[in-house]
Amino acid sequence: MIKHHPTPALLLAFTQGQLGASLSIAVSAHLEHCECCRHKVLALQETSAQYLDDDVELDEWVDNEMIAAITDDDYEIHPKQSMPLRVNLKGHEYTLPRALQSVGLSNWLKLGKLARAKVDLNEGEVHTNLLHIEKGGTIPLHSHKGFELTLLLAGEFKDEFDTYVPGDFIWLNDANTHSPSTENGCLCLTVANNSMHFVQGLSQVLNPIGKLIY
Amino acid sequence: MLANNLRTHHVNMVVTTSKQVSNTKHPELCVWLQDVAIERDKLAFSKLFKWFAPRIKQFGIKQFNNEAQALELVQETMTNIWRKAHLYHKDKGAPTTWMYSIMRNMSFDMLRKLQTQRTETISDDIWPVDNILVSEDIDNFEDHLQNRELKALLEYLPEKQKQVVVGLFYKQVTQEQLAQQLNLPIGTVKSRLRLALNKLRQLMGESDD
Repeated sequence: MIKHHPTPALLLAFTQGQLGASLSIAVSAHLEHCECCRHKVLALQETSAQYLDDDVELDEWVDNEMIAAITDDDYEIHPKQSMPLRVNLKGHEYTLPRALQSVGLSNWLKLGKLARAKVDLNEGEVHTNLLHIEKGGTIPLHSHKGFELTLLLAGEFKDEFDTYVPGDFIWLNDANTHSPSTENGCLCLTVANNSMHFVQGLSQVLNPIGKLIY
Repeated sequence: MLANNLRTHHVNMVVTTSKQVSNTKHPELCVWLQDVAIERDKLAFSKLFKWFAPRIKQFGIKQFNNEAQALELVQETMTNIWRKAHLYHKDKGAPTTWMYSIMRNMSFDMLRKLQTQRTETISDDIWPVDNILVSEDIDNFEDHLQNRELKALLEYLPEKQKQVVVGLFYKQVTQEQLAQQLNLPIGTVKSRLRLALNKLRQLMGESDD
């Protein structure tokens, strides 16, 4: 059962389109797994939409030229088909969240039991990655200078706090250290605004991992 | 896919089995939108425009802090409403909620393009308004049930479970009404529904493989 959800404030910001693409994609992917948050978002959407229903004092404004230009065209839009991407990693076939179906993905870069593909969103310091950890893989104990969001897409992993299932939305900040490990392998979507800071002594050795997954 | 839909629907069914009531203070908006959808009524569209355009513009000015972009948002949103009106169904909720989701999506893609120079349209993937998030209601479930394959699957259900599914999804009665009609406690209706949906999911899972 999913135990880790986006906060109500994050769900509201998502509903109102105020998050960047990275976090919007992560929340959307969580919703694919989480019925209760889907219902919350629907309710928030209805509430937010009351803005368009309110009787407020606004300057009357009609643009007949714009109306004519729009209605001159009889083109109808049909719903976009859902064609989620599939990836094959170490013999496992994964279906990616629908929210990733139109964005660019880099090639997979491998290091030991880790592999990552960058999601090309161009959001400056906020980096979004798909991260695959092979069975038996571990990420050494680390903290985060900024925030790190991990959305488990498939498989399982555990850390000092909990054991996670697909859909779990795990938000960590610089106050937390953890060391995730997976028995049977997992695929995650991660969003972070700074590279990892390894707290164990082998930082020189571990640096490449931090760079790889940021 | 079908199995997925069922999985996401069953709690919905327990929560609400009556049609959603349009919760707009302005029922005329709904009428105009339907006139646009069904008859491509330009007069109705200009009435919608008169109501929504100033509100979208105000939203856009907050969002972009720029009047030209706010006007672009009006044009893009209203164009989409004209082109997508046929996808709107009043049973799915207030017209304002539907309009809002279109405005939010347009605004998201515009803002993203400005801030990150990425031009793919991804809002419809993030908020799949036209089929997943909004349509998770009973009507959509009925659409699936009208699918012949599903009807055939109903035959695999024990008679008592079938009765509940047919009553709730074909005859549009509420769980309370159905419990009365069948002279059963409401809890029994609910548990039969749960068993039936589990069984259907199983059957669909098997046929998916």
